[in-house]
Amino acid sequence: MVKELYRETDLAKKISHVRFGIDSRHQMKLQAHLHVVASSLYSQDYHLPITNGLLDRRMGICTNATACGTCQKNLSECIGHFGYIDLELPVFHVGYFRSIINILQTICKKCSCVLLDSSDKQKFLARILKPDLCYLSKKVLRKEILKKVQKCTLCPHCGELNGTVKKGGLLKIAHMKYRNKKPTDSLVLDKLAEFDDAIENNEELESLVRSGLTTFLNPLECLGLLERIPARDIPLLLMNPDCGLPKDLILTRIPVPPISIRPTVASDMKAGTNEDNLTMKLSEILFLNDTIRHHRQRGVKMTMYNDAWEFLQLHCALYVNSEMSGIPLKMQPKKTGRGLVQRLKGKQGRFRGNLSGKRVDFSSRTVISPDPNLRIEQVGVPIHIAKVLTYPERVNGINIEHLRRLVLNGPDAHPGANYVVDGRTRVRKFLKYGDRRRAALELRYGDTVERHLCDDDVVLFNRQPSLHKLSIMAHKAKVLQDRTFRFNECVCTPYNADFDGDEMNLHLPQTEEARAEALVLMSDKANLVTPRNGELVIAATQDFVTGAYLLTQKDAFFNKAQACQLIGQILCGEDACTTIQLPPPAICKPMVLWTGKQLFGLMIRPNPKCPIKANLRAKGKAYTSGEELCINDSYVIIRNSELLAGSMDKSSLGSGSKQNIFYVLLRDWGEDASTRVMWRLARVASYYLMNRGFSIGIGDVRPGQSLLRAKQELLERGYAKCNELIERMDEGKLASQPGCSAEETLEAMILKELSVIRDHAGKICLKELHPSNSPLVMALSGSKGSFINISQMIACVGQQAINGRRVPNGFEARALPHFAKRDKLPAARGFVESSFYSGLSPTEFFFHTMAGREGLVDTAVKTAETGYMQRRLVKSLEDLCLHYDMTVRNSVGDIVQELYGGDAMDPSYMEGKDCPVDYRRVLEDVRARNAWPDEEPLDGPSIDKATAELLQSSEYDCLSREFKDEITLFLRSTAVRVAKMRQNLNKPGHEAPVYRHVERLTVSQLVDFIHTCKEKYMRARIEPGTAVGALAAQSIGEPGTQMTLKTFHFAGVASMNITQGVPRIKEIINASAKISTPIITAHLENDRDPEFARRVKGRIEKTSLGEITACMTEVVGPRNCYLRLRIDAERVKLLKLEVNIHTVAQSVCGSKLKIPEKAVEVNARRQTLTVYPDRMDSRLNLSQLLAVLKEQLPRVTVKGIASVTRAVIHSDDSTAGGYKLFVEGDDLREVMATRGVLGRRCTSNNTIEVFKTLGIEAARATIMKEIKLVMENHGMSIDRRHPMLVADLMTSRGEVLGITRQGLSKMKESVLNLASFEKTADHLFDAAFYGQTDAICGVSESIIMGIPVPVGTGLFKLLHKADKDPVKPRPLLFDR
Amino acid sequence: MADDDFEVDDVADEFDDVEDDDNIELEQPEDEAENFDLVPPGEATGGVQKSKRITTHYMTKYERARILGTRALQISMCAPVMVELEGETDPLQIAMKELKQRKIPIIIRRFLPDNSYEDWGIDELVIIDH
Repeated sequence: MVKELYRETDLAKKISHVRFGIDSRHQMKLQAHLHVVASSLYSQDYHLPITNGLLDRRMGICTNATACGTCQKNLSECIGHFGYIDLELPVFHVGYFRSIINILQTICKKCSCVLLDSSDKQKFLARILKPDLCYLSKKVLRKEILKKVQKCTLCPHCGELNGTVKKGGLLKIAHMKYRNKKPTDSLVLDKLAEFDDAIENNEELESLVRSGLTTFLNPLECLGLLERIPARDIPLLLMNPDCGLPKDLILTRIPVPPISIRPTVASDMKAGTNEDNLTMKLSEILFLNDTIRHHRQRGVKMTMYNDAWEFLQLHCALYVNSEMSGIPLKMQPKKTGRGLVQRLKGKQGRFRGNLSGKRVDFSSRTVISPDPNLRIEQVGVPIHIAKVLTYPERVNGINIEHLRRLVLNGPDAHPGANYVVDGRTRVRKFLKYGDRRRAALELRYGDTVERHLCDDDVVLFNRQPSLHKLSIMAHKAKVLQDRTFRFNECVCTPYNADFDGDEMNLHLPQTEEARAEALVLMSDKANLVTPRNGELVIAATQDFVTGAYLLTQKDAFFNKAQACQLIGQILCGEDACTTIQLPPPAICKPMVLWTGKQLFGLMIRPNPKCPIKANLRAKGKAYTSGEELCINDSYVIIRNSELLAGSMDKSSLGSGSKQNIFYVLLRDWGEDASTRVMWRLARVASYYLMNRGFSIGIGDVRPGQSLLRAKQELLERGYAKCNELIERMDEGKLASQPGCSAEETLEAMILKELSVIRDHAGKICLKELHPSNSPLVMALSGSKGSFINISQMIACVGQQAINGRRVPNGFEARALPHFAKRDKLPAARGFVESSFYSGLSPTEFFFHTMAGREGLVDTAVKTAETGYMQRRLVKSLEDLCLHYDMTVRNSVGDIVQELYGGDAMDPSYMEGKDCPVDYRRVLEDVRARNAWPDEEPLDGPSIDKATAELLQSSEYDCLSREFKDEITLFLRSTAVRVAKMRQNLNKPGHEAPVYRHVERLTVSQLVDFIHTCKEKYMRARIEPGTAVGALAAQSIGEPGTQMTLKTFHFAGVASMNITQGVPRIKEIINASAKISTPIITAHLENDRDPEFARRVKGRIEKTSLGEITACMTEVVGPRNCYLRLRIDAERVKLLKLEVNIHTVAQSVCGSKLKIPEKAVEVNARRQTLTVYPDRMDSRLNLSQLLAVLKEQLPRVTVKGIASVTRAVIHSDDSTAGGYKLFVEGDDLREVMATRGVLGRRCTSNNTIEVFKTLGIEAARATIMKEIKLVMENHGMSIDRRHPMLVADLMTSRGEVLGITRQGLSKMKESVLNLASFEKTADHLFDAAFYGQTDAICGVSESIIMGIPVPVGTGLFKLLHKADKDPVKPRPLLFDR
Repeated sequence: MADDDFEVDDVADEFDDVEDDDNIELEQPEDEAENFDLVPPGEATGGVQKSKRITTHYMTKYERARILGTRALQISMCAPVMVELEGETDPLQIAMKELKQRKIPIIIRRFLPDNSYEDWGIDELVIIDH
C-alpha cells in the first residue's frame, strides 16, 4: 500500500513580502468583474442600481438587503469586486506625472531609446542589474542617469535633436526641442519657416511664432513614446518590467473599486441616497467619457474636443488626488471630496488611522480614582465592565468544574460566562437564554467558555498620551463595586495620572500567550524602574510620603494600643496571616512607648523570621552635616530593615531616586518585596494620616507679625539695591557685563536681585512657621509643593517673568499705564510684593495673569511640538533591537552599534552612576547582613591580596576587565581606609584587639561582596531581543514633554544665551545646519593670561572698520574727491586688536568693494586712510560712488572672522581651567586655525559644522554631548546609552542624518514604513514606479500586515523537544 | 545628498579596481560584494554546533515570557502536565511551575543576524528570577 501524502490541514499562510507595481490595462480587466459604462447610478424606477453602472451589485454590496451579485455572500462576508472603465482617450496618472516627465527626459522623443551611448548603457546596466540593489541606490542611480541624459542633446541612436522636457502647466508636458540652439541656428530657422505660410495669412501671429518652438506632448503622444521604449532600455529607467511597464504609467483604463469602500448611505431625513465621493467622481469621468465619444462621432471642433479631453484629464487626476494645486479657476471643482490619496494619508488616513493603529475589542474606558488599599499590581475593575469583558477559556481537565460553575451563573451573575463555543462545530451559544444547566453539563474538553473577567486576570491598563512603555502596563484585575477604575496612588507617576477626572483604558488579553507576555514583560512589578535612567518610577507619593515623614519624626511615639493598631494595618490580603513581632519598646518609663521609626522598620520586616534585611544610608532633603547627628534628622540609616535614624522623606521614599528604600528592596530582595512594602506603607501611612488628621486651613497661610516684619525688611533691602543699580546706571557708572549693553546688564542684575527675594522669603517662612504647619510639612517631606509655593501663599508672590525677563512694554515705554514711562522700579516691571493671602493689587494681578498666560500658551504649544518629535524619534528608532550576537541592528540587518552602549549594560539596572553596582552600598549591605562574628577581620594588604586572588578564579571569568578593575579599585580604597584606621588607633603599646574591628571586613564578607557584585553585573547585562531603539526614543521624547518650551539659559555667562529645552533637542535631532545659537568653545594656549585671551578674542571677533574709525571725512575738492578715515589708535590698543593702518588698508583693498590698491592712500603718522572713489565703474557718477563708499566702508571687516559676531572671554573660577573663549558663530574651522587657540580642544555645538570640520565621529560625540547637556540643564537625568544610540543612528551612514522625513527616507528601505510616516502617496507612487519589494521585516510593516514583530519575543522560535534520541547514522556497507 | 552617495559609490569602485587588477571579472568592478562576502548577508543557514554556540547562557526575559505563554497555551489545550499539581488551575501558573523545575519540552531556536541559528534547551539555560 502506498503511503498517503501528509497534507497539513489548517494551513497558516504568512505574507513573505509585498510588491508594489503598476497594473497594466490587461491586468485591470482580469481583476475586474464587469465593464462599467453607464454614467447614471440608478435606473428610472429609482431603487435599483443600473446594471453595468457604478453601483452594480456585482461589485459588492453595502446593505444587507440583497446578496452580492458575484459571490452571493452577505454584507459581512463579501469582500467586494472590482470593475473597470475604459477611457476614450488616454490621460496622465497624476501620481506618476513626475515619473512620466522623467522618463520623457531620459528617452529620445523620436525613437524612444534612452539617450545614452552603448558604453554608458553597459556601465549603468551592470550596476542596475545587480540582484541585491537597495532602494536607496536605485533612486540614486536614477538621478545619476537623469543628470547624464540631460546633457545629451542629440540622440546617439537616431541622431534626432532632443530638448528639455518640462512640466508646462497643469498636467501638461512641454518639450522645448530647440532651447539649446541659438535663434539663428539653421534648424530653428527651418522650423520657423514652417510658420511662414500662417503668418502671411494672419499678421498677428508674428509675435507668437516663437512659442511654436515649444511643443506640448499630449497623453496620446506620450503613450506612443512610452510604448515604443525598447525592452532592453527599460531597466535603465530603473523600472522593473515584471511589475509594470512605462506605458502603464498612462491611464487608458480605470479600475472601479468595490462598493464596500464607497458605500451608499441612505438618508433617513430626505428621500434619496448620499453617494460616496469616489462614486460621484467616477460618474463624472463616465459622463465625460460619453461626451468625448459623442464629440468624436459628431466630429465637433478640435477645441471642444480638446476641452473635453482636458476635463477628463482633470477629473481622473482629482479622482486620485483631490487636493491638487494649480487648477485654473474656471475648471475648479465646486467641492473637494476625498480622493484616493486623501483616504490614505494623514492621521485619520488608512495608514495611520487603520493599519498602524487598529481598533480593538475587549477594551473599556472609564474615570479613575485612587485606592490605597489595592496592592501595587492590582487594578480595581467595575463589576459592570467585568461582566462585559470576557476571556475565552478552553475547557480542560483542570478547569472543567470551575467553568461549569461559571456557565451555570450565566451572563448576569458576576463570576459567570457569556458564551460557550463548541470546540468541534465552533457554534457560539449565548448563555442568557436557554438551559444553562444543560450547557454546563454538556461542556467538553476543547470547548471554549467566554467567561467574565475575574480577580487576578491579567489586564493591560493604559493612559494617553502613551509616551513611554510605562504608559501601558499589565495589572491584575480586582473586580469591585462602583463605576471607576481604581489603583494604588503609587502607580500614578508612570501613567502621569491624577484623579481630577482623568480616564483610562483597560484591555483584556485574549490568549494564554498574550497573558503570559503581558504578565512577565509588562506587569507594573516588572516595570518599577524606568529604562530612562534606572530610577524608580513606582514609589510612594504624596500622602504616603507625608504620612511616613510624620510617622518617622523624632517626636512620634505610640503606646501599645496605638502601635498595634497602626502596624496591624498591614495584616490584610495576602499578608493577613503574617506574624508581627513588636520590638522592645523604645521608652519603658513612665510608660511603654514605641517610636514611629520602629513601626516603619516593622513594615519592611514584620518579624525576625522574615529574611528581608535591607540596608540604606542616604542623605535626606534637609541634610546638613554630621551624618546621623544631622540637626534636621535627615540622614536616613536603615540597617537590617530597622530604621535607626532619620525621618523618611521624598528622597528616601519617592520616585526619581536611587537612594531609596524601595529601590534597595527591589535590587536586593526582588520586586515582590519592594511592592509589598510599598503597599504596606500605603495602608499604614494613610491610616495614620486619617487618625492624626492632616488638613490645610486659612490659618496655615496667615503670616505672623514677625514674618511680616522680616518680609518688609527683605523687600526694602531688595528695593534699595535695585534703586542703587538704577541710579548707577543713570549716572553711567554701571559696569556692563561682557557682551552686554548697560541696559541689559541692569535688567539682568535687577532680575537676579528680585528673584532671590522670593527664595529668601521662603527661607524666612521656614524659620517662622510652626513645624506642625501643614504646607510646611508637605514641603519639608517633599510630598507636594515647595518653599516657593509656601512663600507665595504667605509672604510674597515674587517677580513675574515673561520669556525669562521682566515684564516687557505693553504700552508706550511702560508695561502698564499705571506707571510712569521708562520706570524701572520693581513694581512697574512685574514684581508682586503681596502674597496670595494678602491679595494682589490690580497691577500686580495683571502682571500675574501675564505670566500665567505665558505658562498656558507654553503648555499648549509644547504638547504638539513634543508629540511630533516623539513620533519622529520612535518612527526612526523603532526597529533597532539587540540581536543575539549583542549587536544593535535595524530591521534589514545594518549594524548601528557593535555592542550596545559600548558595554552591553541595561540602563535600567544601573545601581550606581553609569555602573551596575553601587560598591559602597553593597559593601555596607554585605557587612550588615552577615557579621561572621567568628572570623578575624582582614587588614589592609590582605584585602588587596584576597581581592586579586578571588578575581582570578574561573567563576569571575564572565566579568569584563573594566568591571574587575573597578572592583579592585574600590576594594583598594577600602583597604587603604582600614590600614589608616588601624594606624591611627593602634598607638604603639596600645594594641587592643577591639581596634581591629573598626571598619571590619572579613574574608567571607569579601567573598560575599565580590559574589554579589558579579551577580549584579550578570543581571545588568542587556538581554538580546530588547527593543533598545524604542527605549531610546521614548527616553528622549518623554522628558521632552516635561520641559518648559522656551528657556534660555547658559551656565556661567549671563550674556550668552543658548537655546535650551525642546527647541534645542529639536535642532539636534533634526541635524539642522543653521542652529539658532551656535557657540564654539575655544581653549587657549595660555589660559592664565587675560591679556592673551583678549588678544585672541580680537583675532576672532569680527571688527569692522567703522568700529575703529575715529572720524570719517568726505572731502570734495575741485579736482578730486575722497573719503578720509582716521583710525582711533587708542581704541585699537584698548581692544588689543592686532591691526595697524597698513593692515586696514589691505583689508579695504581685499574687501568686496573692489577698491584698487592705488586708490587707497595711507598716512601712518596721522593714522589716516584716504580712499578715492574708483572711476572705473562707469554706471555711477562720482557723487553716487562716494555715497556708496561712505556707506560701505565702515562695514569692511578689518580683523577677525566675518561670521563671528561676538566672542566672550570666560574665566572659570571654580576649576583650574582659567580663561577660555566662547565664540558666537559657525565657523569652527577658522576658529580652530586662529593663532593662540588650542585647536585640539575646540568644541562647537553645531553638529553639522563639527561634521564638516572634524568628521563623523566628532559629530557623533557632539550629538551625545549636546543632548546630555540639554537634559541636565533641565534637571533630567538620562542614561548615556540613549543619546548614544540616537547619535549612532544619525551618524551610521557616514553623514549626519536628521530624524526628519528626509533623513528617515535615507535610513529606511521599507516602503510601508515610509508611507506610514509622511508623504504617504509620494512614497507609494515611487515604489510602484520602481517595482519595489517590501520584505516586511521592520516594526511598522509588520504591524500593518498583522505579523509578529521580529523584536523581543519575536526574535527566536520555539520548537518541540522530542524525547526521542537523534537518529544515529548507520555506517554504510562499504565504509566498514 | 544624492551626490554624496554617488561619491561614496565611486570611491568604492576605484578601490575595487585596484583590488581586481588580476581578476577576470574586470567588467563588473561594482561587484564589491563578491570579493569578501563569501556568504551573502542573511543567507547563511543551518544550525550552529553545540560546542560553537556564542549566545548568552542566560534565558532572556523574552524567552521566558514566550515559553511560559506557549506552554500555558498547550496546557490549556489539554497537554499533559509534567509536574505534580498542588491545586493550581491557571495554565500560566502551571507553566511557571514547570519552568521552575525545567520540565518544559521546548527548545529555543535563537537566530543570529546571518540567519544561522543556535538551539538551546530549557535545561541548558540559566534562569534569573527577576
